[in-house]
Amino acid sequence: MSKTSGSSGGITRRGFLKATGVSAGALGLAGVASMTSADGWLAPAKAIAEPEERKAIICHQFHCLSSCGLECTVRDGRMVLVEPMELEDGTRGQVCLRGITEVQHTYTADRLQTPLKRVGERGEGKFVQISWDEAIKTVADAIKDCRAKYGEDSFFYRKSTEASVAHNYEFLASLLKADTGGRWGLDRGQANGSDPSGLTSGGLCLNSIYDWKNAATVVHLGSNLMESAMTWTPAFFEAKKNGTHMITVDFRYSPTVQKSHEWLAVTPGTDTALILGSINHILANKWYDEEFMKAHTSMPYLINKATGEIMGKMAVKIDPEVNEPVVDPETGETLEVKVPMVWDAATNAARYLDEAGIVPALEGTYNVDGVDVVTQFDLLKEQMAEFTPQWAAEVTGLTADQITSFADRYANAGPAIISYGFGGPDKYANADILGHSTSVLAAITGNSGKPGTGIGFYGIGGAKAGAEAIKFWEMPEEFVPGDSPVAMYDMPYEDNNIHCAFTFGDAFTLESGSANNMLDWVKTLDFFAICDIYHSSAVDYADIVLPACSKFESAEDVSDVRTGAIAPYVYLNQKVIDPLFEAKEDIEIERLIAAEFGLDKYMPQSNEELAKFMLSEPEGNMAGMTYEALKENGAMKLLDSDEIITGADAVPDQQYSTDTGRIELYYEDLLEHDLAFPQYETPQECYRENPKANDYPLMFVQGKSRYRIHAYYSASTWFQEYFGPVVNIHPKDAEARGIAMDDDVRIWNDRGEFVCRALINESVMPGTLFMAETTYNHYYPEGFLQNVTNAYRQERCYPMIFGPQIPYNDTLVEMKKA
Amino acid sequence: MTRLAQVINLENCIGCQTCVHSCKMQNNVPMGLTWNRVLSDGEDVLDGASGVFPNLSRTYLPVACQHCQNASCQRVCPTGATYRDDEGRVLVDYSKCIGCRMCMAACPYNARVFNWHEPVRDPDFNYGGKDVPVRPKGVVEKCTLCKERAAEGKEPMCVQNCPTKARTYGDLDDPNSEASKLVREHKAYVLLEEQGNNPSLHYFD
Repeated sequence: MSKTSGSSGGITRRGFLKATGVSAGALGLAGVASMTSADGWLAPAKAIAEPEERKAIICHQFHCLSSCGLECTVRDGRMVLVEPMELEDGTRGQVCLRGITEVQHTYTADRLQTPLKRVGERGEGKFVQISWDEAIKTVADAIKDCRAKYGEDSFFYRKSTEASVAHNYEFLASLLKADTGGRWGLDRGQANGSDPSGLTSGGLCLNSIYDWKNAATVVHLGSNLMESAMTWTPAFFEAKKNGTHMITVDFRYSPTVQKSHEWLAVTPGTDTALILGSINHILANKWYDEEFMKAHTSMPYLINKATGEIMGKMAVKIDPEVNEPVVDPETGETLEVKVPMVWDAATNAARYLDEAGIVPALEGTYNVDGVDVVTQFDLLKEQMAEFTPQWAAEVTGLTADQITSFADRYANAGPAIISYGFGGPDKYANADILGHSTSVLAAITGNSGKPGTGIGFYGIGGAKAGAEAIKFWEMPEEFVPGDSPVAMYDMPYEDNNIHCAFTFGDAFTLESGSANNMLDWVKTLDFFAICDIYHSSAVDYADIVLPACSKFESAEDVSDVRTGAIAPYVYLNQKVIDPLFEAKEDIEIERLIAAEFGLDKYMPQSNEELAKFMLSEPEGNMAGMTYEALKENGAMKLLDSDEIITGADAVPDQQYSTDTGRIELYYEDLLEHDLAFPQYETPQECYRENPKANDYPLMFVQGKSRYRIHAYYSASTWFQEYFGPVVNIHPKDAEARGIAMDDDVRIWNDRGEFVCRALINESVMPGTLFMAETTYNHYYPEGFLQNVTNAYRQERCYPMIFGPQIPYNDTLVEMKKA
Repeated sequence: MTRLAQVINLENCIGCQTCVHSCKMQNNVPMGLTWNRVLSDGEDVLDGASGVFPNLSRTYLPVACQHCQNASCQRVCPTGATYRDDEGRVLVDYSKCIGCRMCMAACPYNARVFNWHEPVRDPDFNYGGKDVPVRPKGVVEKCTLCKERAAEGKEPMCVQNCPTKARTYGDLDDPNSEASKLVREHKAYVLLEEQGNNPSLHYFD
């Protein structure tokens, strides 16, 4: 195809229209009961010559982890402009199209406007308008009935960022001792495997994204910053300009691939094979860092060959900060840790790691008191031997050359970083092993604790100064949430005592796989209320619907206190506009419900009271940030926020957060699964050899789009001109099924089905489908994508830090023209 | 003389469409119209790719009015509605526009849009800069380099809001402007040079 810069071919009128993409008509609103346009609700603009104009500062959006500082212009009571806030140095901060579209999205027709009561069947979407008084009483009575009948733990309560956590608190969860659904199952797939090594914290990197410029190589492992976190991309370009080699691992030609030097197009769910193949090649070529491994990792520890256990002795666990024993807060017992045994090369004898003057041997098999032992490093070499680059090539679909060249660069070219995505390889049932193997790769090559090294998720900017002195509202000790023994995503499958639910935002279809199973379970509840800003996918299943304010609306001068990410300021969010329609702020809704139980006295009575409390002791990097000062300024910069945390700063003296202070790579507690060192495991469903692939041959992957944060912004009519529920299909797969561009296609598997529009293009790997993470279900011709996603819970992950993660992408489907 | 322009670094353009929406917001652009597009150059679909998987390429190309020095739109305008101002901007005097759309046919960059119907705005009030004129049905509209913001000493909204700072705004007749320096240092080029319009907008890779 011809390019514009050379000839006139590219900018034809037809080219324009096609490039503009989706037509608005195809994505029009599908029968949303009782909704009207914003028109009737707004007072007419004042007919005066000079309209009243004012500006307000807020921190938004935090769900994409950018938390931008925005300056909003309000004219005649309406938000007419959103711009990045002016910073201390006179420049402007960051914003992306999502912040901009709020000028429309805040007023969009798909806002929930009044409290509603269901009159049809659950899921039918038939509602009648009711008063706030009736709605609040109905919700409170339902909770009371449920608690009386089944006990306190029968009430499920969750606020989710998607809708309305403007105040970052779950007051009702504590006051009503509610079940909060336990583990979330989101984004922590790799974290389960990399946190125990000490190299990540909650899957997050330990250094700053601005340390990328110190790296020779940055590997974007299933990460797509160019669409998911646009405001952080200057760090990418700064590093690239500085000579950093960018490699992106993705099955799709994403914009991040486009801007990278190198693309490794691995088959979905096989990323671990790339890492294991690289480890194999690095070991075979001795490209590892011996001194680093000896000094800072578990590689010299001795392993009992017969049992696989680490040789060692138990000792009292000491908190290095205070040099005192650590006591289990629940049992009151002093905790113990294993002091591992190593082979001391100086004395040629087995010694404990905590003994002075030892020189650990990295390699060798020995006999210790009749027990045959081997170093972790030798065992690693033995176990990695099968994962040759040729093997990895077969599994991933790459060439062996691509894998060996990747391994060479990663190990030998200088400091290297591996940047995870949240929403890619982490959403398969084998993601814990990916996190584990990535830790091994970084540790054996010494890629930690130095500038330009590290692994983990960088999409929140990495490590940076946090606000040191924001106080958290306290309630009497008796008010704590319930134990929440069953994760919400497990509720359709595991016995539980939940009979009544109240969610802020669509928890049920966003935070679980296989929506049909989840919604069938929701239908069995005695009562379900939802509070949301928009008509999200779960709304039609609720008995009572409560309209929440957007983050721009407040009944008071101030809404809440937040810390920015992209602009590291503390914000006292100002009211931009009055609440629209009959919407109320989430804290107000919680207060009204609490009042029905006589418990509202324990909550702050106003936004102002809460904000004043949170800012009552502004010390440290918040010195001077009093309520009054912030009210005057809107936002103030954290005093130490210009410091960039490098890989060296992140791990002072190479001391890691593990019991030994070393990078731990051998997970003894996974011996029963033969995973003490990582091994290759296929995804649970999404792999070509799966017999199920005979019926469902297409790999169905969802990920981020610039037009969404999860389902958020589905209702933006500005975005609808460009984007809607579309599936990216490779031309070969479309042709084989007689599917043409813009056809409606039916996608299904044994869990469910949906219909959306076909977008045929070369950007996706043949045999795969790609869709942006969900869109409110009423924008689809039929069903929605969560109907097909996998809800498998990986059994071995239950004892892990973050539990099983929802394997949305571990999904096979078939497709035909609808 | 002054020749206001933008110089766009395509290396930093990630196709995020922030400039597109910033423009729509600031200039009160109605539904269905746009003054600014980010094309996937030469592709059938937005975010498409050329080549055969996995040997692919894609270039994002932001295109709006190129503010040509020898503007074909201006030459064909029968009423003088389209004119070049002292700052080198090509502008439309909406009161003189008769809706003949000769300019649209003449523009090789397809940078102009027409109000075929009563403008529909969502939200249904005038958003954007308070001094931006509201255009009626029957007139052509396009990028003004945010002249109302320029009057307040501000950059165009698309320049200010670009997350990767791919856009630089300035006077090409001032050899010391950042824009002029970029044109020199990067040997920046114009689109469709052979059309002879002598555009002010420049690009580099």
